[in-house]
Amino acid sequence: MISDRLKKTILTELEIEDFDFVDETTANQVPNWDSLNHINVILAVEKEFKIKFKGAEILRIKNVGELEQLINAKLSG
Amino acid sequence: MFNSIDIIKLINLFVYDPHNPLLFGTSLFLFLFFGLLVFYRIFANNKNIRIIGVLVFSLFFYYKAAGAFFIILIVSTIFNFYAGKIIASLKTDTTKRLLFLIITLVINLGALGYFKYTNFFLQILNDIHLGKFEPLDIFLPIGISFYTFKALSYVIDIYLETFQPVKSFRDFSLFMFFFPNILIGPIDRAATFIPQIEGDQSITKGDIGKAIFLIMFGLLKKVAVADYISINFVDRVFEVPLRFTGFENLMAAYGYAIQMYCDFSGYTDMALGIALLLGFNLTENFRWPYKATSIADFWRRWHISLSSWLLDYLFRPLQIKFRNVQPIGNIAALMITFIVIGLWHGASWMYIVFGAIHGFYITFSLLTKKIKKKFFELTHLADTKSLKVVQIIITFHLVVFAFIIFRAPDFMTVSNILSQIFNSFHPEVIPQFLSGYTFIFELMAFAMLVHYLPEGWRYKVQEWLSNTPLIGQALILAVVIWIVIQVKSADLQPYLYFKF
Repeated sequence: MISDRLKKTILTELEIEDFDFVDETTANQVPNWDSLNHINVILAVEKEFKIKFKGAEILRIKNVGELEQLINAKLSG
Repeated sequence: MFNSIDIIKLINLFVYDPHNPLLFGTSLFLFLFFGLLVFYRIFANNKNIRIIGVLVFSLFFYYKAAGAFFIILIVSTIFNFYAGKIIASLKTDTTKRLLFLIITLVINLGALGYFKYTNFFLQILNDIHLGKFEPLDIFLPIGISFYTFKALSYVIDIYLETFQPVKSFRDFSLFMFFFPNILIGPIDRAATFIPQIEGDQSITKGDIGKAIFLIMFGLLKKVAVADYISINFVDRVFEVPLRFTGFENLMAAYGYAIQMYCDFSGYTDMALGIALLLGFNLTENFRWPYKATSIADFWRRWHISLSSWLLDYLFRPLQIKFRNVQPIGNIAALMITFIVIGLWHGASWMYIVFGAIHGFYITFSLLTKKIKKKFFELTHLADTKSLKVVQIIITFHLVVFAFIIFRAPDFMTVSNILSQIFNSFHPEVIPQFLSGYTFIFELMAFAMLVHYLPEGWRYKVQEWLSNTPLIGQALILAVVIWIVIQVKSADLQPYLYFKF
């Protein structure tokens, strides 16, 4: 499950109305989420959750579910 | 009876000859590959023997193209196999692990750099008067850029823990040596190739139809279109552009874009088809690139295995590194990536400028994104068919312009071609051109027409081929080979991509 807070952050950054996110959703399935825009999504997430990712951590993420897990790990760690 | 000269001739067929690599279109290749397929069939139930058969064939294939330099391929394979193991054995996110990755990268890229860029670097030192250096006699081992990138994807994925090191050296060697993609790609990733070795390489009726289609379509693109228009038209104009009118220069620029695509994607199609007959699916490398509606879209359709490699292993890490200075960070990552794309093709300023221009195109598009979006909304053009057509035409011309720089030997030639196109176009030569170069024009028009057809036709042909009985498939293949022989004006031209 993708939290509403993460979902809202992504939607706002990509300027899209709504999208049905599941754990397996990958960036290329979401409108406007291309390789150039990717970094803006990451920055928006870091800002919203007040966390900082390591480079390799971002490179390892394969889908939205893994992003959610990483955020949770950072928040509880 | 064989006399001694025949035997020597026969032996020579199997010895390295720099002018005669074992290209996919040659009769010797077709003959030997047929032998390999029979071998495959006989040992259908013994995977180990089949794989060893492909390994031996691959080494021979590479030896025919690179001679003694096949040693470098073997050394690189052994080195990266153990580097992967060592990196995997070190603890996550430790300095030691990172250090080991860096050493591996430096050794791989150092070897690539030595063979590819030493003389270019010495030339730059000469040009900026930092000394006087004679160029060194360095031979570029064919395919080194491709197999080095394959190996790097393997070690980096292990470092990122998105892929486990392979246990069997035999399997890793097959990934590195695999002859269909060793000379000019596609740059397959270990993560998609190695699991296929662990599978059973069975092929379906549909695979056979697809493979025959790819081999025929690739052969036609390469020999009947690319080689023919290059020898008989494009090369001549690029050699002395001032001898031709602006119209002819423009046609040659279009012709080169068609030639480049048909040559490179034709070879890749054959590689994909040949690999498929052995039970392996290689990465798709082209997806109708001239249907792109933007330059970013073009790079998602052109030489996909290289652009996605650089996207994953260069652009993304740089983008993350520079993420706190936006939008400059994004632009810097873009420009560096595209200059590397240019440089990857060879050590020359022409290639660097080619890459930089593409980087500039995408940067411009990125910076004007918001304005364009507003404009399209105001004029109700957004998501319309006519906007799409205009975008395709503009993108195609931007690509053609960059390809002129890619193809021309120097900037003088580029400037001559442009000045002919813009200052002495001479539209009155069009009827003359059409009557003098009828077949060239027809080939170019036909190639573009096929390119812009809706994509479904290809699958229909593949399905039809799959359902054709074996004898019919053989007949169709024979007809295509006959057509190719008819069109072939001279001996096989070396593939354009070989020097990279």
